[in-house]
Amino acid sequence: MEKKGITRRDFMKASVLTAGAAALGPGVLKPTGVWAATPKIKGPIKVGYQAIMSGALAGYGEFHKMGAVMAMEEINAAGGIAGAKLEIEFRDSTLKAPEAIKNARYFVDSWGADFLAGVDSSGQALALAPVMKELDRILMVTHAATEKLTEEQVYKKGIKQVFRICTPTYQDGNAAAFVAKDLPAKTWATISPKYEYGYTCWEMFKNTLGKLKPDAKFVAESWAPFGTTDFRPHINTIMDANPEGFYSTEWAGELITFVKQAKQAGMFDKIKHVLFPVGAAMDVLEGLGNEMPDNIWMSGRYFFQYPDTHINNDWVARFHKRWNHYPAYVSETGYSTMYAFKKAVEAAGSKETSKVIDALAGMMLVSPAGYRNFRKEDHQAMYDVPWGLTKSDPKYPFKVMGKQVVIPAKECFNRPPFEGPETMPPF
Amino acid sequence: MLESIVHVCLAGLSTGMFIWLVASGLTLIFGVLGVLNFAHGSFYMLGAYFCYTLLGLMGDNFWLGLLLGPLCVCVVGFVVERYFLRYVYPLALPYQLLLTFAFVLLFDDLVKVVWGAGSIGSPTLPGLSGSIPILGRNFPVYSLFIIGVGPLVAIGMWALLEKTWWGRIIRAASSDREMASAIGVRVPALFTAVFIFGTWLGAMGGGLAVPYVGLLTPGMGESIIIDAFVVAVIGGLGSLKGAFLGALIIGLLSSFGTRFIPTFDMFLTFILMAAVLLWRPQGLFGEAA
Repeated sequence: MEKKGITRRDFMKASVLTAGAAALGPGVLKPTGVWAATPKIKGPIKVGYQAIMSGALAGYGEFHKMGAVMAMEEINAAGGIAGAKLEIEFRDSTLKAPEAIKNARYFVDSWGADFLAGVDSSGQALALAPVMKELDRILMVTHAATEKLTEEQVYKKGIKQVFRICTPTYQDGNAAAFVAKDLPAKTWATISPKYEYGYTCWEMFKNTLGKLKPDAKFVAESWAPFGTTDFRPHINTIMDANPEGFYSTEWAGELITFVKQAKQAGMFDKIKHVLFPVGAAMDVLEGLGNEMPDNIWMSGRYFFQYPDTHINNDWVARFHKRWNHYPAYVSETGYSTMYAFKKAVEAAGSKETSKVIDALAGMMLVSPAGYRNFRKEDHQAMYDVPWGLTKSDPKYPFKVMGKQVVIPAKECFNRPPFEGPETMPPF
Repeated sequence: MLESIVHVCLAGLSTGMFIWLVASGLTLIFGVLGVLNFAHGSFYMLGAYFCYTLLGLMGDNFWLGLLLGPLCVCVVGFVVERYFLRYVYPLALPYQLLLTFAFVLLFDDLVKVVWGAGSIGSPTLPGLSGSIPILGRNFPVYSLFIIGVGPLVAIGMWALLEKTWWGRIIRAASSDREMASAIGVRVPALFTAVFIFGTWLGAMGGGLAVPYVGLLTPGMGESIIIDAFVVAVIGGLGSLKGAFLGALIIGLLSSFGTRFIPTFDMFLTFILMAAVLLWRPQGLFGEAA
């Protein structure tokens, strides 16, 4: 049988040790055990960060790293977290759930991580949540977007160790519907990823747009498996349905490939109203350059042109100077994660998981993306990300946002208790 | 409806011919050397990256890039065969698989070091990005070009193997290595040459992918190599005729599947592969063991 708590023998050992240490004087034996006064935070503070660093999406890992490393350099140069040095170790998540769990266990059990961060895939995030409870370490999710993570795992199952600093699928499904309702398109179609993320977003988009604009019709859907390089058969399906509006949560390289192939097939000449919820990603914009058509609605989890504040503009300039890139959204979430840990640890005066959870829940963070508020109930960061129309700008070698529309997070994010139609927008 | 079916057919043909371009080299190498070369996908990837770089250096002359890029990869293929693969021919199949798979990992990381981990969108090339209306809907000219190149490569390979002196030697060496060397064929040199030719075919597929896929990513060879393997298995490992037909079937099946039975489109190719393996384990044109 495993004994919990302090046994009599431990008690004796501790008393003898403490007494002995006191007798020998300071410097000979450091006091340990229950009576020892431990310093408030024993450094360094270690963050285990996992992101995709191999295969077709390896660029995302690089962008995560740039943000997190930059925050670490700044924090350590300014005296660390409550005086303790911040250390980050990166591991390749490979997008597979078993690998994500292996990484988390390595970070905590072997490397001694105090906090975990990263994770790109929704499947991985859902698989990690129960593991985080078991390991009792905080995981700050910086990219995975499934709303089930915060609604079900955090809110309903009470896994308090999980937080999310990036916008979830609400931004991709609900907010997109708010943009779509003002467009003169009634029939909509999609080509989206053939997995959880793609299905969830389209379902959310349909539900919310259906409520906002009851005469909207959804005429075709074509689901592209992960790793699709040939979208031409899917484009045929959409062209056959001849919709007025088009919505796609394709992302990263697959979105680049899709846009090029759709352009060749003349799809953007026929369909005038196009929404790309994760089109405002730097890899997509840089990859497409001038080939991204104008007047496409796009969004992301952060876009470097928004908000137009001193904090953000200054950060973008520093980032560009440091890495010769404009920050991708995962760079911002990776960067802000380190500052969220810093603020919470300093407020808690400890790096103990339960105390930092209390500090993080409900905490307001000033970040490049603007004010972020970690919602108490589901640990989801509330902050606004714009939707914008693509346009050329001679200042940038890629398309940027022209006209911008901001759907406030409190208007388009589902609300606790996440049950029944009144917890979903419009409110 | 007619317009739709014609376009689904065309999309399927271009998909199939594109897979064939990659599967041809894989099949040739297996047929002659008996090596299942996982690294074939890496040659495809290297072909794409070399072409892309040459494009940048030579002012967007795609055809010159397509000529020189695969030749650079042939040097890589030579080194792989001459200094590594040659030593595992006598060993059991798993050693060959392990070695070629090791090269996959190696080349993926090499590409990340040289060209960066991010994906690269290839530039639009003048003359290749247009499309022509077919039954009122635009079809990319470049896809038509791929549909044309596929059969040309097939005819070229058939002529080379069946109608030339060199082809006869290759066929002799692949059917009986010992006898061929006994009558004076320098089998190791011949194997190197065939491997380089197979490498060239894979790299050529990669070069052609630059405008076709429109995107270069580290690991881009891994998804195409799966399709190429499926095609090779359906057609019969080592049979070029089988690979060509298999590629056509897979291309059309996936195109029609995506359009008309989208729920099962991912399964269709694998169901077909399973059915072929049950009914004819050696593949459509494979020789019974």
